[in-house]
Amino acid sequence: MATLRLNGIHKRYPNGITALHGIDLSVADGELIVVVGPSGCGKSTLLRTVAGLESISDGELMINEQRVNALEPAERDIAMVFQNYALYPHMSVFDNMAYALKNRGTPKDEIRRRVTDTARLLDLAELLDRRPRHLSGGQRQRVAMGRAIVREPQVFLFDEPLSNLDAKLRVQMRLEIRRLQKRLGITSVYVTHDQVEAMTLADRLVVMNGGHVEQCGTPMMLYAQPATRFVASFLGSPAMNFLPVTAHRDGVVLPNGVEVALPDMLSEGRAATLGIRPEHLVEATSMADAAAVLDVTVEMLEPLGADTLAYTRLPGLEEWLVVRLDGAHAAREGQRLSLAFAVAHCHVFDSQGARVPLAEPETQACQ
Amino acid sequence: MAPQLGIVLVFFFWPALQAIEQAFYVEDAFGLSREFAGLANFEAVLSDATYYQALGTTLVFSLAVALGAMSIALLLAVMADRVIRGARVYRTLLVWPYAVAPAVAGVLWLFLFDPTLGLISSLLGNVGIDWDHKLNGAQALALVIMASVWKQMSYNFVFFLAALQALPKSLLEAAAIDRAGPWRRFWTIIFPLLSPTSFFLLVMNSVYAFFETFGTIDTVTSGGPGGATTTLVYKVYQDGFVGQDMGSSAAQSVLLMALVGGLTWFQFRYVERKVQY
Ligand SMILES: Nc1ncnc2c1ncn2[C@@H]1O[C@H](COP(=O)(O)OP(=O)(O)OP(=O)(O)O)[C@@H](O)[C@H]1O
Ligand SMILES: [Mg+2]
Repeated sequence: MATLRLNGIHKRYPNGITALHGIDLSVADGELIVVVGPSGCGKSTLLRTVAGLESISDGELMINEQRVNALEPAERDIAMVFQNYALYPHMSVFDNMAYALKNRGTPKDEIRRRVTDTARLLDLAELLDRRPRHLSGGQRQRVAMGRAIVREPQVFLFDEPLSNLDAKLRVQMRLEIRRLQKRLGITSVYVTHDQVEAMTLADRLVVMNGGHVEQCGTPMMLYAQPATRFVASFLGSPAMNFLPVTAHRDGVVLPNGVEVALPDMLSEGRAATLGIRPEHLVEATSMADAAAVLDVTVEMLEPLGADTLAYTRLPGLEEWLVVRLDGAHAAREGQRLSLAFAVAHCHVFDSQGARVPLAEPETQACQ
Repeated sequence: MAPQLGIVLVFFFWPALQAIEQAFYVEDAFGLSREFAGLANFEAVLSDATYYQALGTTLVFSLAVALGAMSIALLLAVMADRVIRGARVYRTLLVWPYAVAPAVAGVLWLFLFDPTLGLISSLLGNVGIDWDHKLNGAQALALVIMASVWKQMSYNFVFFLAALQALPKSLLEAAAIDRAGPWRRFWTIIFPLLSPTSFFLLVMNSVYAFFETFGTIDTVTSGGPGGATTTLVYKVYQDGFVGQDMGSSAAQSVLLMALVGGLTWFQFRYVERKVQY
């Protein structure tokens, strides 16, 4: 049972780098928050300040509404799963998992019971006597999880725990983490730079960039209504298509003169960016009330099985326009396509990259 | 490869073979003729009470030097590790005692502990300790131990510091989160993880204490008083070069080589397997 709250957390490293510029975030009891962002944006720094491994330069960190800024890592009752697992190489799996309990002076038989229970939960029962170097990557990862779980901490912190696993194991462990986190109901902060992991795990998603929170909300909300061009480009694979446009009386106009009918929202003549996701471009014949129709040429195809990605070009534009076609689509390279999209699927960003609302409800704050 | 091999052959194996051969001969007083003596040299050595005294001195001395030099070095390395985080400048500065030739270091210690002129002996006098290593055997032994520890410490320090800096930081962080205080972190994580380095240093320090402390002992006490600081290697020198008894000296060096060889074998056989993880 724990809540976590960050009020204007700043982190300046001794070398002068400011890694966090005022992070506000509150995590409800039992919630799984995923922090996602590009390399160097301060994700690890954020986790490490929460863990107490780095001091907080400014701002407040509250666990259960108690200020914990000055507490040592040991006193915060948090558990952390490291990217490299940080298993103690000279201890057996059992001792790795028992270490924190021993340090706390837990009675021997209780340690044994809790470690065996957790080992069973994670399918590690057979491995308890092994040393970490005799485990596979996936097993090490589970031991690292077990070491965190067995303590029954207030807060779980994960720093890219799956990034050293192969793709298949990553999917499997992702589901496993989700299942365990829900079952144990432990408040968690999970850092990753993998946007699929972020979308699938998160109760709420926090997108960070350059030490700031760009946006936070449910994965679907961030996907459907990205607050900035950065968030729009970061979530979704393949990334959203961005086209340079100029505001116009009845919407926006592309450099090649094609008009896109949109609700009136920018003063005429302003430069902006129009974003459309690859999955929202469909063949014009199958759409009645399109915002616009784009005639493109297919230049390259990437069949993925269920879908085929078509890299197309619009005459007069430099940008690729990526389209997600059905896997059964008979497209050929060099073929012409007429693509349409709905107003509801248009994202407009102003020249600063902020979303221009098209008369929809606005996004929620992180607090 | 060939040049190194040549050097090893010329400077180690050749003298070693010579010593082994010599151990089975007796020479006349002028070194002009010699005759085969079988095991007579060994029998003479092993029935000599001063040899056993030297053996006892060597064991006490070596143990004290190895443990002293390693534990002080480890303590200093742990403290330095907190401060420097990989700054090479300090590391090289801290090696300098090792670079000081043993004789020079020995002279330094002689000055500090000189019974009439020495700074430290006069300080000790003030607190009621009557320091005179020229008369007191235990004090003499303590002095050569200190000087040898001092000499070897920096070597150990460099290795310990490098090993400490190579420890994955995340392990210590994980331990800190797992509620281990600094003291417990040291004994349950750092110390066990350093064990390969400690083992290597144990072997090196034993060899050092057995063989390489010769120069220090010669300058500081010359094996005295009354043989209290005569270690096996120093006795080899005394009997061979001062006493001119080449046969006995050679037999002693063969025994010494066998002893160190046996010790090293023991260390690898029984200690090394405990330090792997
Ligand atoms: N110990 C440190 N001292 C100084 N600067 C640091 C330190 N650790 C990180 N930084 C800097 O702080 C910024 C944020 O780093 P951080 O490790 O939090 O990024 P990240 O989002 O976790 O990146 P990645 O996805 O690559 O792990 C970077 O510019 C980094 O260079
Ligand atoms: Mg990181």
